[in-house]
Amino acid sequence: MKKIEHFYGTDLKWTKPFAQQLEGKIVGNFIIVPESIQTGTRYFLDCGDGIIAYYIDVQYNKNLQFIQKNISNDFVGIYYNLTDGDAKLSANNFMKDIGRWKYNLAVIDGGLESDYEVKKGSRTLALSIFLKKSMMQSFAIKNNIYFRDIDKITNPKKNTIVMLDRMSSDSFHILNDLQKLKVGGPIFDLNLTGTVHMLLANFLKKMSANRIIIQTVNKDDLNKIIASQMFLIENIKEPFPSIQIMANMANMSESKFKNLFKKITGMTPNAFFMDNKLLHAKELLESKQFSISQISDDLNFTNNSYFASKFKEHFGLSPKIFVKQL
Amino acid sequence: MKKFTHFYSLTPEWQHHLAKEMNGELIDNKIIVIPKSLGQGHSYFTQITPGISVLLMDFVLNESVKINRIKSDNQLYILHFDLSENANVIKINNIDYKIGSYDNLGLAIIDNKIESSFKPAINKRTLALRLLVDKKLLDGFLKNHPSEEFSKRKIKVPKNSLYYYDNIDSNSILLIRSIKDKSVFDINFNSHLKGISLKLLGNFLNRYENSKAVENEVSELEIEAINKTKTYLLDNLYNPFPSINFLSEMAGMSPSKYKMLFKKSFSSTPNNFFIKEKMMLANKFLQSGDYTTLTEIIYELNYTKLSYFCSKYYDQFHRKPSDDFIKKI
Repeated sequence: MKKIEHFYGTDLKWTKPFAQQLEGKIVGNFIIVPESIQTGTRYFLDCGDGIIAYYIDVQYNKNLQFIQKNISNDFVGIYYNLTDGDAKLSANNFMKDIGRWKYNLAVIDGGLESDYEVKKGSRTLALSIFLKKSMMQSFAIKNNIYFRDIDKITNPKKNTIVMLDRMSSDSFHILNDLQKLKVGGPIFDLNLTGTVHMLLANFLKKMSANRIIIQTVNKDDLNKIIASQMFLIENIKEPFPSIQIMANMANMSESKFKNLFKKITGMTPNAFFMDNKLLHAKELLESKQFSISQISDDLNFTNNSYFASKFKEHFGLSPKIFVKQL
Repeated sequence: MKKFTHFYSLTPEWQHHLAKEMNGELIDNKIIVIPKSLGQGHSYFTQITPGISVLLMDFVLNESVKINRIKSDNQLYILHFDLSENANVIKINNIDYKIGSYDNLGLAIIDNKIESSFKPAINKRTLALRLLVDKKLLDGFLKNHPSEEFSKRKIKVPKNSLYYYDNIDSNSILLIRSIKDKSVFDINFNSHLKGISLKLLGNFLNRYENSKAVENEVSELEIEAINKTKTYLLDNLYNPFPSINFLSEMAGMSPSKYKMLFKKSFSSTPNNFFIKEKMMLANKFLQSGDYTTLTEIIYELNYTKLSYFCSKYYDQFHRKPSDDFIKKI
């Protein structure tokens, strides 16, 4: 296991020591790391307004332990992490599994020392946003957002923020869109800054609504609901499996299953399934490798016109026009 | 018809003038609420990064209005994305350009140096997003991503008309539509709009970077099918040409599509390709010294007439077969 001690911050001073720790170097906005440790890209960008974005799309070839000891505690790190594989985050009083199907959104105060462990062979797509606390506060005041105890939250002396959660499916797709682009260059920078702003918009909405649901749900139940979400995504091409089967799989009654699913994901199982199906269809259309009827058959829609009408209902334009104007 | 005049700048000051003239309420230097006498709705302006600002117009008017934009000293490009229900009109130098709605083009790029006026349709929802981009910034982006198409069009379009006029690409449509259901008074609207604007600009630049590559895109499945028939042809050089119908069936396409794609992939028709490969093989046979007569070789390659073979051979190599022939001793 390789140990890496580093710090983050809302300026770019952290990048150089960080790269050195990873036996790498900085080229432009990239952190180049030798193949023996990881393959893929690490890219950072100053988005202005005291916001730093740090984009990671890598496969780890070594067990790594990142120890975060920050120099200043005037910022908050928002970590969107979609890891396939083993990753753990621990701080003074908790230890949690991180990943696409586990906790995938972490908000951690800069003042807190944390420990992130990732196992060899894991594939990580992550976007970290470092945001000045003072920015958060002025942003909230400017936009009339009422945070519960905002002063306490943003006052570095009084409080440290820790929050683990699952990102909304909206945020997930925003992140997924970013992955399709070629990293580097001014166009990517525009998209990255755009993505950061959209994610922050979603995040602020969540914060202000103050609906931290996950902590109020029984842990077993949560895992089961996430497992059923995973099941739906894995079987995205099949027809909807029916509530009964899924409730059985989760060992719950149908009504409990439906209620919990909606509480955690904000959508009914069927709506969640259809949403993801259509987004998958959109990706297939974007690849331009298949005709509309091929896609509709492949995703098990009863017929083309049903597919087209659903697509139009969701995206506001029909698949044909969508393809035409790609 | 009511007329308003205004100008653009990257900073929000220009709104004071317009809001006053329209009798609209200006909130927070960002939102202009359209007065009831004119219609319902608002505009939203915010600065995103130095050099990029965005103006979102979302309203339904019940009286016809002409909004004149006078030129200002700011060196700007205006990227106008229009997703309105009905076509709006942008007038530049007395030429009307229809923009927005289902059947018209939705993207226009206007130079801030040139005056233009915007006439939204009445009693229909107008949804338009304008990106104001500093000229130096956009030129810088384009320089970094040299694209022939863009520079070509630049010359083609007469100097005083629209700079550029095009469809909005699908992903951008989806982005703009996602604003449609959001309220400008939402807390996260500002960052959402900023995000969308930056992505729109990114999409726009991306589209012009890739514009050439996209045109002649052939799907992987089709390429695979074409390659399959090519291998078949190469494996059967001793036989006569198998016919286009046979080959197209093998590739699972119509004969015409097959011919077109084959030509695109190998820049030659299937038959010419076949003959060419045959002649290469013939050349190999001729120089191998394994044959005593030419007739032997042409029978091997399934030709019946020596003269036909000779003419084809001459077409390709500009030599007679007998010149290359090495006899078996």
